Amino acid sequence: MTTDQLYQARLRRYLTALRNEQPDQIPIRPFVAEFTAKYAGMTCQQVAHDYNLAFEAAVKCAREFDWDAIVPNMVYVWTGLAQAAGLRYYGIPGIGIPHTTGFNFIEPPEDQAFMREDEYDALIDDPTGFLYNVWLPRISTEVARIGEPATYRNNLALVKSSMAMMVYFSAFGPQIQRLQNECGTVSAIAGIFKAPFDIIGDKLRGYIGLTMDMATQPDKVLKACEALMPHLTHVGLTTADPAKQVPIGFWMHRGCVPFITPKQFQSHYWPTLRPCIEEFWKHGNQTLFYAEGKWDHHLDDFATLPERSIVFHVDQGDIFLAHQKLHHKFALSGGIPNVLLSYGKPDEVRAHCRKVIDGVAKDGGYIMDASAIMQDDTSIENLRALTDFTREYGVYSAGSQPASADLSQLSPCHGADVSRLTGLTGRAAPRIKPGICRPWEEKAKELPPITGDQDLVRRVWENVEALGNTYIWQLLLSF
Amino acid sequence: MLDLQPLHDAILNGDAKTAKALTEQALAAGVAPLKLVQDYMVPAMGEVGRRFECNEYFVPELLLAARAMKGALELIRPLLTASGVQPVGRVAVGTVKGDLHDIGKNLVAAMLEGGGYEVIDLGVNVAPEQFVAAVKEKHVHIVALSALLTTTMPSMKTTIEALKQAGVRDQVKVVIGGAPITQRYADEIGADGYGESAAGAVALAKQVMG
Repeated sequence: MTTDQLYQARLRRYLTALRNEQPDQIPIRPFVAEFTAKYAGMTCQQVAHDYNLAFEAAVKCAREFDWDAIVPNMVYVWTGLAQAAGLRYYGIPGIGIPHTTGFNFIEPPEDQAFMREDEYDALIDDPTGFLYNVWLPRISTEVARIGEPATYRNNLALVKSSMAMMVYFSAFGPQIQRLQNECGTVSAIAGIFKAPFDIIGDKLRGYIGLTMDMATQPDKVLKACEALMPHLTHVGLTTADPAKQVPIGFWMHRGCVPFITPKQFQSHYWPTLRPCIEEFWKHGNQTLFYAEGKWDHHLDDFATLPERSIVFHVDQGDIFLAHQKLHHKFALSGGIPNVLLSYGKPDEVRAHCRKVIDGVAKDGGYIMDASAIMQDDTSIENLRALTDFTREYGVYSAGSQPASADLSQLSPCHGADVSRLTGLTGRAAPRIKPGICRPWEEKAKELPPITGDQDLVRRVWENVEALGNTYIWQLLLSF
Repeated sequence: MLDLQPLHDAILNGDAKTAKALTEQALAAGVAPLKLVQDYMVPAMGEVGRRFECNEYFVPELLLAARAMKGALELIRPLLTASGVQPVGRVAVGTVKGDLHDIGKNLVAAMLEGGGYEVIDLGVNVAPEQFVAAVKEKHVHIVALSALLTTTMPSMKTTIEALKQAGVRDQVKVVIGGAPITQRYADEIGADGYGESAAGAVALAKQVMG
């Protein structure tokens, strides 16, 4: 089999499973993060701080393991960029934490939250402006506050980090091609999304601050979630797979019971998340619910989403319960505990994989993966056991899709009726539309009357403005 | 006689303002500080823990109650110290080396404070020798280790070994907790106890102290 044939077979297998159908065998899609460093003989510092080394390590794994899909660089936060921007919220390997440790997110103490409790109105009025004017100077050791004198370091940090982001993002295309051409491996996800409520907890108010706000000013929190919806959805849609094959990565954090109450889930988390997921699906994009922690309490709500609109990834939740509640609509992934993969024996790994496959993969719609991203504690021998066992045991007698089926018909959205979905339709338009920072109308007032092709001038202004928008929202969501 | 049940209820309901006001009133009326703690505040936190265990309360209620308790305790603690009342126990808490996650650790600290324990919070990324120093210098009864990552779990083992090497392992009880931690792991590394959730921290502390 040529590498291209291998790629086509794996893509077909992965897409069929994403469609919740039965492929020829169970696709293997391990989210290997710092594991790649361990396997390639590198340190956590090397893969976090030099993304080219991370790319190399990922390619080496893809070449040497029989995996259908991986993430081009699951050690996603390039700490070189984090350092250029002066991000306060990362522990960078080798700088303050051991170079042998993966990067860590540091949540500031409650009284130093990146957004204060009385700043909801500003966030609601113009989320992008708030991020630039208030949030960025707080998260950065370099960026000057609005009203304070600009500094050399301020200017350098903005130029360096934004150019670094462009360079980094531009490197993903060739990396994805390498995975395809050299290894026959599919790039597993495309794009990024986080729930409005989660992002307020993660990067703005902090978990404790948000919890207190839910007691003292729940209406403001709800309005803020609503204000973030169109912007976060815009990020998801503009970073999604243009071919509409692989899902948008949705990293689910603290919006689950017991970190919030069931009532808060119903009043805040779910009503401001569900329309975004519907909007993605209206556009033909499936979402990977990467449900970090335990989300068992919310499976009935997830089950109300349109068929195939999501793939549900199980971390510490009960994968058998997830199968029972969701399998009629969505594919599942994950469910192999990281503790087992790190500290168990290969026989135990095989036994657990068998149990999961028997329980949830009988008729397809399952993608083999660990529960959470795999760091450098994951045993190489155990991951090999997972891979080999799944290849031996996870073969179906007959796939539901003929090998000749047109690949376009294997997109998760193919055949879906989205005509009755609401998504974000009907919601009040934000004062400043998603995807830009300053509206063209505002800029045009500063200019003399424009002659010639006015639409051209406007279009180019907005396209370049979009880069400024990308920078700040990607800092919020990805870095 | 002053009805102090509302103090109990204010803590249970996470109403920090009322808890503080009622504590001030009670102290002004001459109620013994220790009585406030033992008869009303600690039982209220016990009830909070019970409700958490049976899914009536969730982490937000836990946090609010702990905060109400803390506010009231701040008024009382100087009086207890002045009258020579000792805390139920002294606990050093920290997230182990290589791990910078602190929400779980902070919750455990809040619950322990609420249970009448003196908490020495060593913070995050705490090296084994810092735990050893806390045992030697602060004379803690319990060392509570937290880890969120599977990669940093081994630091718990290293910390226990460091306590052994320093010859202080017998002087303290070691309890551990965090997302990837299990009772089995606690047994493997020779910890004295494992806590599945912060709500059970006080019960666990009582249990290991015997």
